[in-house]
Order: sequence, then structure tokens, then C-alpha cells
Amino acid sequence: MAPLKILEETNGGILVVAPAGRIDAVTSDEIERRLLGLATAGARLVVDLQAVEYISSAGLRVLLRLAKKVKEQSGRVVLCSLGPAVHQVFELAGFLALFEIEPDRGSAVARLSGPGSA
Amino acid sequence: MKPLHLRVTPPAGAPFGHECSEPSLVLGRSRSADLTILDQYLSRRHARFFVDGDEWLIEDMGSHNPTLLNERPLSGPTRVQPGDILRLGATHVAIETGPIKTETHGIFKSALQVAAQQAVQEAQRDQPALNRLTERLKLLNEVHRALAGPISLEALLELILDRAFSHLKPEEAAILLKDPSGELARAASRRLPGAEDFLYSKSLIREVTEKRMAALVEDASADERFAGSESIEASGIRSLVAAPLLDSAEGCLGMIVLNSRLHVKRFAEEDLELLVSLASAAAMRIRNITLAEEAARHLVFEKELDLAREVQMSMLPREFPKRSEFELAATLKTARAVGGDLYDFVADGERLWLLLGDVSGKGFPAALLMAVTKTLFRALVQVEASPAAVLTAMNRELSRDNESGMFVTAFAACLELRSGELLFSNAGHNRPYVLRDGAPARVEEAAGTALGVVAGLTYPAGRLRLEPGSVLYLYTDGVTEALEPGREQYSEARLEACLREVATLSARRIVEASLAAVQAFSGTAPQSDDIAIMALRYLSQPA
Repeated sequence: MAPLKILEETNGGILVVAPAGRIDAVTSDEIERRLLGLATAGARLVVDLQAVEYISSAGLRVLLRLAKKVKEQSGRVVLCSLGPAVHQVFELAGFLALFEIEPDRGSAVARLSGPGSA
Repeated sequence: MKPLHLRVTPPAGAPFGHECSEPSLVLGRSRSADLTILDQYLSRRHARFFVDGDEWLIEDMGSHNPTLLNERPLSGPTRVQPGDILRLGATHVAIETGPIKTETHGIFKSALQVAAQQAVQEAQRDQPALNRLTERLKLLNEVHRALAGPISLEALLELILDRAFSHLKPEEAAILLKDPSGELARAASRRLPGAEDFLYSKSLIREVTEKRMAALVEDASADERFAGSESIEASGIRSLVAAPLLDSAEGCLGMIVLNSRLHVKRFAEEDLELLVSLASAAAMRIRNITLAEEAARHLVFEKELDLAREVQMSMLPREFPKRSEFELAATLKTARAVGGDLYDFVADGERLWLLLGDVSGKGFPAALLMAVTKTLFRALVQVEASPAAVLTAMNRELSRDNESGMFVTAFAACLELRSGELLFSNAGHNRPYVLRDGAPARVEEAAGTALGVVAGLTYPAGRLRLEPGSVLYLYTDGVTEALEPGREQYSEARLEACLREVATLSARRIVEASLAAVQAFSGTAPQSDDIAIMALRYLSQPA
């Protein structure tokens, strides 16, 4: 099994989560559990996908659930640093329009720090 | 005979050494023991070392808190050797040097012989002790006989409570068992009419189940072990006995505890002895029953899984229409017993409807959603005019109350048999290929979002013409994302190379050969996702 890490760091009240490796049917249960646990009331999350080499439909489902739960909790989530392979999976499934997506971590954090953010 | 060297560490006071040159050594807290140890958790005569040939053996003498050899309860007389550690009550005894290891010829004395010997010795001193022992042996005999036949866990617990009531006469008796997560829960209990519900203190439960100590509390307020534990005092309980349910393989399974207000019943040491015997008989049987139940449950689950797979596979058509206008073939290989990929088709006189899809997720939830998706498709092709309209309607249904975030990617198509015109719509699915003149071309058009995510979407409509002889090839991501042992993906490039080679074969051979190519690529790597493949070759206009 490829290594898979979720690094968590706070950045001015914004939580940056960086999963790594493959997010597929095998690893998605664990990632789902970890990510949904972070969706607390008013949470502002950045999910940095730079180190994700592959995401399957099971992985997309996890991000959908996260977005849903964050929204219910009046929080906000921004995805960033999608590599070409990950970007393609989002594009194929028609998911690019469903998420707030930024090219890199800096712009993602800035988007959450800016006006109109929770 | 080699002398026995012991290093004894009692709960209080300094460790001390002891050498024994006699053929037998009884340890206990009574002065009548050969080696007296100040430890309130020890029985009066707790355990005995004895010589058999050249070996030293240890046996438990029916103590309340069973003797542990290297942290495992003794199941009978057991040989000891240097380095072994015994735990008797709260006392540790290390074997420092021991007998020379030789072959054994001697006959072990059975536990019964020891008990009889002990009974005779005690009877010589004490007639009431003999009576107690006789009663205890009778009870145990009775319980062992009752437990010899088939019995459910409930009946076993009832039997133990029953015997505890008839012999020990408490106001309340309870058996606590550990659930699979290790939490103790009340499995059975019984109370005399009028007795109050009693909450056992955490300190008592810890004492019994974690330290694996039987406990006799004659006066809760005066017993230092439970000083300050308010639950005992608050409840007005004055006397209780408790024993752990110990299993040699699983450790502590739970505990049995009896209590009474002191003016009703004051438990004594012989009550504790009896309860410990009852608990050990019960523990052995509980473990057996639990194992049998687990095995039965597992079998049921396996059967359900098999059944679910059968139902699911039977939902996928395996007979394909034999028509002059087209060839159709499809296959599905699930990664787990049940999965979320699906294909379906509906043919009428003029049109052939196709669907190939992938439900996000795996196992039962994915299989259920797959069944729903297929049912919707079958119903909607009867009423909707185009694949785009079918997907739009399916999305409307699947988005409703979708809390789990599961979604379905799907490609839907409808072939006009007269013209070879293909209407299609893509809901976030892998782009299919059209094989024309032996070359694969990806169908990128009319792509929307996966089904079940955003309510109210209208799906785009695509249109192309299949020339006679050309093929529409549909697949799920289990193909392109299949891994080989080095974790490289099969990829679209490999799929396209494969399709170039097989493009001129029959639809059925295209499906089989492209599946075989993926499986050859994966080699020994386990299949990580479902694989579904469908191929349609348009032949000619109907005659």
C-alpha cells in the first residue's frame, strides 16, 4: 500500500489538510473519517491535493461529503494544488464546478481569509 | 532431588529468598502453610510446589484468585523452571534455579487427588470444613453435568445465577460480560423481590476484572480497597462477593457479583471459594458458546454476501440479442463480492438503449445504488425521448435525499437501428471510444456532472453516426486505473493500444480480449476496483 498521510496545520484559524498518496476505495474510509472529523462548526478548511497522485470515484465521494458537511456547519472548504491526474478525474466527473478550487495553497488560504469568508 | 530456590516479592515488605529441600511446599497466608506470606489476596493455603521425579511442579490449591504462571492461569500441575514467574494474589514468586531438565516418567497427581487429600487433611482438623467441601463438590458436580450438554448463553447464565441464589442466598446476583469492544455490560441478573437495583462501583469492577482478583467485601465502609468509593457507601450495601470469569486463552471475560445488605446476609470466605469455583466452571463454557456463536454469525454473513452477489449478477443481462443490425457484448468483474459497476441495454424494434455506469464506493451500499440506477434506467427509457433526457430524469431521482454523497457516473446511448445514428449523453463518466477503421477515437462531447450530486441539472445531448462495421466501446475506470504489482496504472494509452489491435474482432472478442489484456497487465496485483466493459458494433440497416 502506498504511504498515505494527512498533515494538519493551522494557519490563522484556517486548517490546511494535505492528504498524500492514493485516495481510492482502499484508503477512502480512513481519509473520510479523518476529514469529516475536521468539519466542525464554522471550520475553514484548505484541502491541499498536491501530494495526491491518484483519486478514484470513492475519493471524489469523500470530498463531496466533506463539502456538504462543512456547508451544514456554516464553514467553507477550498481545494488546491490539483495535479494533472487529479484534475483530470475532477474534470471527467464534471466536478470542477462543484468545488472552490485554487492553483496553490497560498491563494487558497487568501481566498478563505478574504472578505465574505466565514 | 534438587532443592527449589524461590525469590518471593510480597505486596508489602522486602523481597526474600526461600530454599526448599522438602518434596512439597505449600504457600498461603495461613500459618499452617509451609511458607506463610502476608498478602490479603492469598488463600490460606494457596498453591503448592511438589517434586515429581527430577521436576518441580506447581499446582493451585483451589485459591480464590487463581495462581498465574507467567501470567497464565494454571490448568493443572505444571512444571516450573528457572526464569518462570508466578503470581499468587498480589505476590510475585520467581523461580531462581531449578531441577535439571530430564525426561519425565512420573504420573501427575490429578487435581481431584489433591482435592481429596486436602479434604481428608482438613477433615481431620475440622468437621464443618468437610461439610463445606462436600457441599462445594456436590454443587460443582451438578453444574459441570448441566454444562456438559448443549446450552445457550442465556440458559447458562440463568443456571449460574440459579445455583448462586440457592447456595449463597444473596439479595442480588449479576453477571457482567465484556462486549466485543471490551466494555463490561450486565448480561444477566436476578434480585429478590424488594431488593433495590444496585450499581456496582467502578473500583470493585476494576479490582475484579483488571487485576483478576476475587473479592470479598464484608463491610464496604471498612474495607480499605474501596475506601472513598462513594457508590458502595451510598447504596447502603454492606456485604458482597465477586469473582472474575477467567479463560486461559481470552483472559477476563467478565465477572459475577453477589450482594446483600449486611443484616440479610454476611458473605464469608467459603462463599467466596464457592463463587470462584462457579465462575471458573461458567467461564470455560461461556468461551465455548461465544466461539460457536461467532462461527455461526460469520457463516450467515458469508451466505448473505453470496446471495447478494447472486442477486446482483442476475440483474445484469448475460444473454445478448442476436440481430442482423448489431453485435452487442458486455462483461463485469467485481473487485469485492458485490460492487457498483453496471451495464444494461433495452432493445426494441427500432432502437437499442445502452447504459454503462460506475457507482462511487464499494460493497453493499454501492450495490444497492447500482440496483436503483438500473431500475430507473429501465423505467425511464420507456418514457423519455433521448439519453440526455433519461440522465436528466435519473439525476433528479438520485439527487433526492442523497445524504451519503454517493454518486453515479454513467454513459447512456441510444442507437437508431435504421440509420446507425447514435444519440448519447455522458454523466461524468470515462469517455468512451468509437473504433473506426481500426483506430480508437475518444468521444468527448456531451459531458456533464456525475448523477446524484446536483439536483436540477439538464444533461447535454450528443449525436454521432456509427458507420457499418464501426464499434462503440464503453468501459469503467477499473480498466484504465487497474494497477500492476509495481503500482503503475494501465492508463488510457495502453487501452488505446489494445483497442487498435482488437478493433476488427467481433464485439464479444473485443470485450474478452481487452479484459484479458488488463488482467495480464495486473498480474498478481489484486483487482482494486470493479471492471465493466461493453462493446457495440453497428452492422447494417435492417433488411
